Amino acid sequence: MAKIMLDVKDLSTKYITRFREDVYAVDRVSFQVEEGKSLGIAGESGCGKSTLALSLMGYYFAPLHYMSGSIKIEDREITSMTPDDVRKNILGTEIAYIPQAAMNALNPTQKIIRFIEDVIQAHDPSKTRKDIRDMARQRFEVLNLPADVLDKHAVELSGGMKQRTVIAISTILSPKVLIADEPSSALDVTSQKMVIKMIFDLMHDGFIRSMIFITHELPLLYNVTDDIAVMYAGQFVETGSAEQTVFDPIHPYSRGLMHSIIVPEAGTRDQKLEAIPGTPPNLKNPPDGCRFAERCKFASPQCCASDIAFSTIGGGRGYRCIYSEDRLKEVYAHA
Amino acid sequence: MKGYKRYFLKKLLWFVITLIAAVILNFVLPRLMPSDPIATITNRITEGMNNQNAVMQIYREYARKFGTDQPMWKQFLIYVGNLLKGDMGVSFQQYPRKVTDIVAASVVWTIALQLPAILVGWMIGNLLGALAAYIRKGFDKVLVPVSLFVSGLPAFGLAVTLLVVFGITLKWLPISGGYSYDLLPSFSWRFIKSVIVHYQMPFWSIVLIAIGGQAIGMRSMSIYELNADYVKYSRFLGVKDMKVVGYVFRNAMLPQVTGLALSIGTMIGGALVAETIFSYPGLGSTILSGISSADYPLISGVTLIITIMVLTMSFAIEMLYGVIDPRVKAAQSD
Amino acid sequence: MKNTLRQILHARNFMIGFITIMIILFAVSIYPLFNQGSPLDMIGLGTFFKPGTYISMYDAVETAPTYTLRLDGAAAKRVEAKLPQADRESMKRWLVAYGIPDEAVNTDDLNDLLNLWNNTYDPDARPAGLTSAFRKSVARIDTVLAGLLESLDVRVYTEEPESGEMRETAQIKDNQYINVSEVVNTRQLWLGTDNFGRDAFKELLAATGVSLKIGLIAGVIATVLGLLLGLVSGFVGGIVDDIIMFFANLFTVIPGFVLLILISYSIGQEQRGATVVAAVIGCTSWVWTTRSVRAQTLSLRNRDHVNLSRLSGHSLPRILITDILPYIASYVVMALILQICSGILAEAQLSMLGLGPKTTETPTLGLMMFWGMTYAAHQNGAWWAYFPVILMIALVSFSLNLMNTGLDQVFNPQLRS
Repeated sequence: MAKIMLDVKDLSTKYITRFREDVYAVDRVSFQVEEGKSLGIAGESGCGKSTLALSLMGYYFAPLHYMSGSIKIEDREITSMTPDDVRKNILGTEIAYIPQAAMNALNPTQKIIRFIEDVIQAHDPSKTRKDIRDMARQRFEVLNLPADVLDKHAVELSGGMKQRTVIAISTILSPKVLIADEPSSALDVTSQKMVIKMIFDLMHDGFIRSMIFITHELPLLYNVTDDIAVMYAGQFVETGSAEQTVFDPIHPYSRGLMHSIIVPEAGTRDQKLEAIPGTPPNLKNPPDGCRFAERCKFASPQCCASDIAFSTIGGGRGYRCIYSEDRLKEVYAHA
Repeated sequence: MKGYKRYFLKKLLWFVITLIAAVILNFVLPRLMPSDPIATITNRITEGMNNQNAVMQIYREYARKFGTDQPMWKQFLIYVGNLLKGDMGVSFQQYPRKVTDIVAASVVWTIALQLPAILVGWMIGNLLGALAAYIRKGFDKVLVPVSLFVSGLPAFGLAVTLLVVFGITLKWLPISGGYSYDLLPSFSWRFIKSVIVHYQMPFWSIVLIAIGGQAIGMRSMSIYELNADYVKYSRFLGVKDMKVVGYVFRNAMLPQVTGLALSIGTMIGGALVAETIFSYPGLGSTILSGISSADYPLISGVTLIITIMVLTMSFAIEMLYGVIDPRVKAAQSD
Repeated sequence: MKNTLRQILHARNFMIGFITIMIILFAVSIYPLFNQGSPLDMIGLGTFFKPGTYISMYDAVETAPTYTLRLDGAAAKRVEAKLPQADRESMKRWLVAYGIPDEAVNTDDLNDLLNLWNNTYDPDARPAGLTSAFRKSVARIDTVLAGLLESLDVRVYTEEPESGEMRETAQIKDNQYINVSEVVNTRQLWLGTDNFGRDAFKELLAATGVSLKIGLIAGVIATVLGLLLGLVSGFVGGIVDDIIMFFANLFTVIPGFVLLILISYSIGQEQRGATVVAAVIGCTSWVWTTRSVRAQTLSLRNRDHVNLSRLSGHSLPRILITDILPYIASYVVMALILQICSGILAEAQLSMLGLGPKTTETPTLGLMMFWGMTYAAHQNGAWWAYFPVILMIALVSFSLNLMNTGLDQVFNPQLRS
């Protein structure tokens, strides 16, 4: 069995708003990512995907707060480390992040190379400017980025170039886990493809050893990642291989999500597009029991009675529903 | 470098245009008004004189000197010609001293006082504003109302308060002048010491006002920058907190630099009035005495010098800004 | 709209500032009802009378009935008032020099000190180490002391108009009192008088009113000018925009303060009423508002609702008023508040240079300050002639700034803490 790069168990985090209210944005999330594999996380806007991305890095500052659970990167527990230890020894080197809005992710008044110097020296102060420049130039070359970008300011770069520069900087220390939070959402289709290809080339070339890809575009995930986790209201409701999750969803929510996708194939025009009625619950006081129950066609009173456990059924598959897999299949067949 | 050159030339052109406009305004404004400055001047000088002929003589003499008997455009040419020769006429009040000499003597004091004071106040203000944005909590709660209060104070109000507290009540510092009146300007140790002692109160009153105004703006800018995406991104790459704060400080400060270029005129205006409180031998006191004795050439000379001073300072600041903010270069090359 | 209004009413900063301004306005408009007469009346002959209650001595003598009060400390107080600590120290110095041991002289116990003094002091003695000037000053103190401890009655004599004879009309004992509220003529001078002998408190309130008016006029002129120019410049664009922006850029760099001096000076003292000064200030400070209004109009001019209006053939003024103005209204209000504030400051600064409104016509905060400084009130310890003025300017501008920050927090939520 391949080495497990990232092992997350029952991770819970919350936001504390300026009115001192708790918002439980990530609730008991567990998953594993193996070496060389990629995990896609799908869900509607506001389901906690981006918060999960931030929570995974073990580096918390207001308004985000750690509550419980464990995060292990290659058997190294990071939730018990001090923030400065995490900053120095984990961020960038073990786990790295590509933010949603890469357009504004770079300091507009700083030369790219100066920022790379700050990033590298934060982890290894012994590196000289010359070492760093050589390192950056090499990496840029491999990634087909022009080397003169290094001596430019972010304002002088085009949108697509900024995005690719951000990816190059995030991975410059060859992290074991890369978290990409909708890295392509603001780009046109051609640039999107280029960015995604770039990320997967990075993994292929061994600069990163596993990755987590977050997006609300399911078809994208199906095409690019090995596994998919579906997130709803701060919880994982289903995990499995990309193939299984998309074509054979177990959880009613995953199923609803898949049905709301238009696949351009023969007969699409005649197909009825199904939307999931209702809105996700407020995470300030999440409902007891299943969080999807209110919007679920198949819900029964028991769904809201008590907490629903996450059942694993082997092969990385799992789901959070009161019904068994077989029962659900049966219900779907009649629907 | 090309983008920077274009920026520089553009700003230089503006500097020249505004300078010309300022000279025109300085010339035209007083002449647009119904009152006859020559008559006012003659009245003052001939007070108590009974001989009408002599009065007329003096009137004509001044009219000729100022060229008021000539058409407007010719007057302007004479005015500009004289300016270029550094001749701004003769002061009535301190006759026969030349306005150029009086202004030259006082402008040194004003620049030596205000330039450092405004810069120091600007820097401290920015530092405090950034700290307030970074620390928030208690510090923020104190700094904001205090700065708001101080920035609303007129500079002269603070000047009088300082003067009464430190000069009159505590008797720590001298209350008027630029140096002790029993000394003559020289490079002796005693004179320099006296200048430094006299410098304190005018200096700090300008500094304090500048701090108040800058801190508020800087705080807002810093809060805005602290929420920027690049802050979060840098932190998640493990960049040290102090470095990130450095980015924020720099980016929040840049608009403050242009802000300084734009507000330096107002600041100097306020500071000039504060000068008068301390009878500081600068332009403020000079213009006050010019106004109170209806010394028209002196007023005109001082206003022109103040304008040139302000224009030059804001030009210099904008040049500096062009160098430190890469966005300027990027904008020019579009 | 309703929601915005509710938010504004809940913004603490705004409300504190607003209420303070309202209290000031209330005081300014109410006080003249209680204290009639022009604030410019020179009621005091002399400069800088101290704050306090002024009682007519003439009427005090005439006031009946009088009351006898036996108060313990009365005599001591009288002596204290006439013998300040500095004089007691001088006495002690003389006594010590004369040969009295230092610890035997107690300047705190007046009776003791006076007894010792009366027994010891010899005007002809020349104790060693004392200058003749000091000896003379001690001699002067001694004359004051003579009879200080005995309380003699004060007798009031009136000259008979016909015979010229002096007739005793009253004999006032040291324990005789009158009730101040029964004296016909008293005047409460909360802040004393200024250099012209005007009631400083009354003048301060009147001046605050005038200064607020100047600020308001200047602010309205600047805001209206700025709004119009900015709207037209931003919306019409093209050559109109170029021309307006040329002048706006010009007057951004040419200091408004210099223009103010030049124009005010040129207008001349005679023509400078409060309204004229306000108008001049307003006309020299439209630049900021113009620039910001233009910037905001530019960002609005291509919005859908504006385009719709344009396609529907609505007139320019109508588009500006119904489609653009509502979106920048909050900004304009904030700009107005700031302009009022800087108008008040500008007037004060102009007046400090002697270019304020005519002194004989209206009081303004700047003029009060100017005259206070001209008569060196700060060097004479007459704090009442300048300090309340500074405080009032600070209070007004602080309140206006607070209102502005409050509004800013409502309209730019990021700044909330």
